[in-house]
Amino acid sequence: MNKTLLGYVPTQSPIYAVHPFVKLYFLLIVSLFPMFVAAPEWNIALMLAIVLLMWLSRVDMRTLRIYVPIAVSMGSIILISYILMSGTHPEFRLIARFAFIKIYWERVRDAIVVYFRILPMIFTMVFFLSTSRERDVIVAMRTIRLPFVVTYVFAMALRSAGMVLEDFQIVRQAEHARGFDPTGKSLGYRLRQYVMYMIPLFALSLRRAEEFTNALVARGYAFTGEASRVRRADYILTHYSFKYYDTLFTALISASFIILLVLRYGYQFFSIEQSWLINWLSTALR
Amino acid sequence: MNTSAITDQPFIRVQDLDFAYPDGTRALEDVNLTISTGEFVALIGQNGSGKTTLSKCLNGLYKPTSGDVIVDGLNSKTTPIVQMVRRVGYVFQNPDHQLFNSNCWDEIAYGPRNIQLTEDEVKTRVEEAAGVVGLPEMYFGEHPFFLSKGLRQRVAIASILALRPQVIIVDEPTTGQDARQSFEIMDFLKDLNEKHAHTIVIITHDMPIVGKYARRVIVMGEGRILADGPTTEIFAHPDVLEKTFLEPPQITQLAQLARDLGFYPGTLTVEEMLTQYQVIRGRTRL
Amino acid sequence: MPLAVEIKDYTWQYLNTQQPALKNINFQVEEGTFLGVIGPNGSGKTTLAYSIDGLIPGQYNGIKQGQVHVFGKEVEEYARGQLQRIVGVVFSDPEAQFTAMTVEDELVFGMENLGMDLPEIRERLEWVTELTGLRHLLLKPPYEISGGQKQRVALAAVLAMTPRVLILDEPTSMLDPVSRRRVFDVLLKLKQEQRNTIIVIEHSLENLIPLADRMVLLSEGEMTLEGETRAFFQNMDLLIGQGIYPPGALRFFYELKRSARFEGQLPISLEDAYLELERLSSQAPSV
Repeated sequence: MNKTLLGYVPTQSPIYAVHPFVKLYFLLIVSLFPMFVAAPEWNIALMLAIVLLMWLSRVDMRTLRIYVPIAVSMGSIILISYILMSGTHPEFRLIARFAFIKIYWERVRDAIVVYFRILPMIFTMVFFLSTSRERDVIVAMRTIRLPFVVTYVFAMALRSAGMVLEDFQIVRQAEHARGFDPTGKSLGYRLRQYVMYMIPLFALSLRRAEEFTNALVARGYAFTGEASRVRRADYILTHYSFKYYDTLFTALISASFIILLVLRYGYQFFSIEQSWLINWLSTALR
Repeated sequence: MNTSAITDQPFIRVQDLDFAYPDGTRALEDVNLTISTGEFVALIGQNGSGKTTLSKCLNGLYKPTSGDVIVDGLNSKTTPIVQMVRRVGYVFQNPDHQLFNSNCWDEIAYGPRNIQLTEDEVKTRVEEAAGVVGLPEMYFGEHPFFLSKGLRQRVAIASILALRPQVIIVDEPTTGQDARQSFEIMDFLKDLNEKHAHTIVIITHDMPIVGKYARRVIVMGEGRILADGPTTEIFAHPDVLEKTFLEPPQITQLAQLARDLGFYPGTLTVEEMLTQYQVIRGRTRL
Repeated sequence: MPLAVEIKDYTWQYLNTQQPALKNINFQVEEGTFLGVIGPNGSGKTTLAYSIDGLIPGQYNGIKQGQVHVFGKEVEEYARGQLQRIVGVVFSDPEAQFTAMTVEDELVFGMENLGMDLPEIRERLEWVTELTGLRHLLLKPPYEISGGQKQRVALAAVLAMTPRVLILDEPTSMLDPVSRRRVFDVLLKLKQEQRNTIIVIEHSLENLIPLADRMVLLSEGEMTLEGETRAFFQNMDLLIGQGIYPPGALRFFYELKRSARFEGQLPISLEDAYLELERLSSQAPSV
């Protein structure tokens, strides 16, 4: 089992054979797709395609269950805010009424469209994070020649997240060991107490930061000056080579994007008017 | 009244304790032990042997996966942690993990306030605890973050003492300290034990300190208790210590090498060694 | 032998402090020496280590007097990044030194910083992995290895940069005895195979004494005692007075000497102590 950013994936998974750059490219390009696609059925299809990819990569599908409550609450929030908080147009069609709240078809329709645009983007991100180890992310960034500082800061952010979580556990235990008992207390009380956790975490981070800087300097790392412009050998990249299928995938992703753009702007595909799902809903809610 | 008398009724009883972390790792297996009031115990073993996990089960921070931990008649599985920590205090290794108040007085008062004592009671407890650890009044208004490591450790201990627990567990009291600081803290714990009738448990791998201060040693390895007995007996049998990759202090090793010269293999201190030397030299005067 | 380190009348006071951390330090370290530095906490050991590596005055503000020379050149005169090729430092906190995502990346990080090319990196990586026994850990991330292993990684990462002077600042104070032993094993191998100058600051005297050629005692910023190891430890009165707690066997013979039951050089290793004890026990007792 290898640990990825969001969980564990078995070592035999085919996703490891793919160069990290391809995974990053997939994330960047495919998450743009929903921006050009309004018709929800296409976005739903995209979402399912990504779930299929996750399954093929041997990602543990049970982790997706965590996202169900998030998806539901997000959907509800979008629906409610669209219904309650957007303006109305005299041509809007009223479909229901609860006391003083008027529900217009166009608002519901827009909420659905937006919701199914956001979902595939999230899923693409989840797919990327579930199939990428920390090292993969770094390699992907180095392959596209991002400045070393950027990739390094990113890597350290990832690392410190882990360390802060560990510290947090210990701080919690230390507070419990002094009798702190949140059971039965109000939410306000608990929130105030969480602030109290921040202080030891800050103190620990500050102390660690000084030592860490010393370690960096001792390793010859320089942020400025001549020493910082040294040409790095990028040893990490020697473990990864671009194979024929990596090029193939990259080409496929690029091609799909271009075709999408052509269909969208050249032939008016994916629009709301053409969407059979929207039209079906429209009739159903009459 | 003999305040360091070891009474018959065990204050802590551990029966068939098993503990596994949420992700399944087994940390403790089949642990059975009792600790009576007035004891001075060292819990030793290499990193990962379970000594910290066991200690956290003793004060209720961790609940047993199976088996029982009974402290002063209370079962840790059914007793709220607030009740447990009034009986078993735990001082964390790094004081920075628990210090978060803006002044030392509030820091020490935190525990008593958590257990809902009146402000008068709190005041008494704080002054008492500060007195025991020798924290001068001038530090009461100071921010703990800016104090020296030694002072911070004292504030941390005072904050536990303010809860007046019978048992005090100290995690790695001498790690990172120099000789003088180590003896200071250990002599202080010895006072707590002999003059103030507290039961002391130290988690450590500093073998010379164990030899000098602890009357009883519990050796742990791979989540199990490998040996439990008076320090001099345990040290006399280095094969048990070897299983958890520890060795006795150098003076004990010297006595063991010189076993055939008449030295007792469980010798713990230089003083004992000297006494034996006198006797042995006296014997050859024949 | 060329002088690896030469310190002349060196005084350093950190900003916003009442007292200098180091006062009038004068000493020299020949290349290839294994030097042990001991002293109570706060005596200036870390300050001394940082001064040789250029972290002081590079990273810290304060007032410097006197000179610190590494291989004949003042520490401040080295260009940024140059001194780090010559002097490597291992710190006491294993966590704070792990600057990369996997062990292998960590080992390679310093080498990349120095601009080494790929074949050289591969070669050094191989050597350092072999020396420190890290091969099975190469692809592991920091949270999957123990503190002791992290320290060996730190040591390896610094060694990979081929420093001529290696400084270790309390490398084992946060480690358990097993890990501690393993770090010292690597240091022993280093001492036998290479010609590095090694300076170790430690509280664990039992492990340090067998390796050290020379020792230095710092207290309250001053160099109170210095010399070849065996001679150094004959000064027990001074050492104990300064808060040093030597290993049991040494203390035992010191007590014997104090009560005139023993004469001669105090043995500094367990084996020597046993031999002495054996010899004493078989002697006719003095009346």
